[in-house]
Amino acid sequence: MKSTVEQLGAIMARIVGPVLSLLRRSADSTGFGLVLLARTALNFPYLLTRRRTRDTLDLCYNYCVGSFLVTSVVALFTGMILALNGGNSLEELGQESLIGPIVAVSMIREMGPFMTALILTASLGSGIAAEIGTMKVSEEIDALRVMSIPPIRFLVLPRMVALTLVTPVMTIFAAFIGILGGSLVANSQFDVGWLSFRNDALETLDIVDVFTGMLKSVVFGITIATVGCTQGLLTRGGATGVGQAARRSVVVTFLLVIILGYYLSWSFLT
Amino acid sequence: MIRLENVHKTLGGRAILNGLTLEVKNGETLVILGRSGTGKSVTLRHIVGLMIPDEGRVEVLGQEISSHRQASLPKIRSRIGYLFQDGALLNWLSIADNVGLPLRERNLMPEKEIQERVEEVLSEVELDGHGDKLPSEISGGMRKRAGLARALVCRPEILLHDEPTSGLDPISSSIINGLIQKLHETGITQVMVTHDMSSAFQVADRIALLHSGKVIALGNADEIQKSKDPAVQQFIQGLVEGPLGRETSGEFEPEHPAKEESDLS
Repeated sequence: MKSTVEQLGAIMARIVGPVLSLLRRSADSTGFGLVLLARTALNFPYLLTRRRTRDTLDLCYNYCVGSFLVTSVVALFTGMILALNGGNSLEELGQESLIGPIVAVSMIREMGPFMTALILTASLGSGIAAEIGTMKVSEEIDALRVMSIPPIRFLVLPRMVALTLVTPVMTIFAAFIGILGGSLVANSQFDVGWLSFRNDALETLDIVDVFTGMLKSVVFGITIATVGCTQGLLTRGGATGVGQAARRSVVVTFLLVIILGYYLSWSFLT
Repeated sequence: MIRLENVHKTLGGRAILNGLTLEVKNGETLVILGRSGTGKSVTLRHIVGLMIPDEGRVEVLGQEISSHRQASLPKIRSRIGYLFQDGALLNWLSIADNVGLPLRERNLMPEKEIQERVEEVLSEVELDGHGDKLPSEISGGMRKRAGLARALVCRPEILLHDEPTSGLDPISSSIINGLIQKLHETGITQVMVTHDMSSAFQVADRIALLHSGKVIALGNADEIQKSKDPAVQQFIQGLVEGPLGRETSGEFEPEHPAKEESDLS
């Protein structure tokens, strides 16, 4: 008969082992991701070559087209929800005129960048991880290395730059659509005129709001691309590994977007 | 030309190469045989610097590749061609663009000359007229030949083949074997990893049999066939019982994958 201490020890070992392994893997991939980001930055001059510029522009186009519809729908309904909830409370106080400012500031400072980042993480970040992961398990990355074609220049740099450019563009678009959705609800449910909604919103918005939103979207874009490429390059173990890489890229990016989003908001508000 | 001396490599806690010593002479075709999981592909990956040994020396073209982790690797690799198991073609590029990729990306020649060289090498591997197709539009055998064309396009001094005939029908296998023999006549040094015995006996100058990360038999096709070593006989006759055992191990996963990915830029 095993003593209780031995049994507890065995249970602890079962729990501690995987936790330590997870921590080690996380530390490994965090370090790898940071090094990857730094190396990509050092390779930035290669973006000026004709082939890399063309690859990057192609990716920008594909990323915009690929996320356009889902971003539009989510942004429209987010703006409508904001206006509906805000309007209900403000109506009781007779302050319907504040719907415009609330929707505009929320969409431009917080909801636009955050929501766009989540959409792009799910659609593009996971796609990058799966694409590079598939290349990894089918030895295409090794083939590039053997041909002395640096994978960072050939694969990572165009994707990172394209996502860093596309995220702010899609954020502006999402904010615009969200505000449009908010104005629809404000007009139809709370009798706020179109012109009044627009004027109130523009009066409240200042350049810091726009700058905050844009900075967040750039940081989120870099984060999505870095995590996607990192998880893709660290993929192991065939189709299962590719699935895990895509899932991990979504989970890790969501966490980072929320944490980074909070600290960026905090730094601007204080 | 290629020398591996007492090479040790452990992956996922398992010793894959366990003091491997092997030499490939200039212009010869060496075939590495062995059961799955005995470290054949790992040996090829060491030769091209995709893996570095934990212990031992790997010397290729007069340079110690195991100590050239970063700076000189591209120079050495530019003299080596590598045919991967499934061709490892980029699926969004046409066959011609895949073949011309190393020439274009490394700016080795003007575009017109690249196109001529691509056509020439596609013709060498009997893929004329298939350049515009995508990898998904051609058969497995053709993909391997396209991979071979890409490996040859830069006129390498060494050509490494990782299971070039695996998964192919006998006719496609014969085409690949014929190409390897044709390349042998040009004087290129070749190392081929395979399970395919008939292919090995057809193309090899020498055959090395790997077991437990070591060479256990080395000789020409005749010497290997006539070997009295029970392990060699078990392998070439495909006997279930014998010194090589019944079971093989699966894929090896490195303990720290991030460390294996240091030469990406």
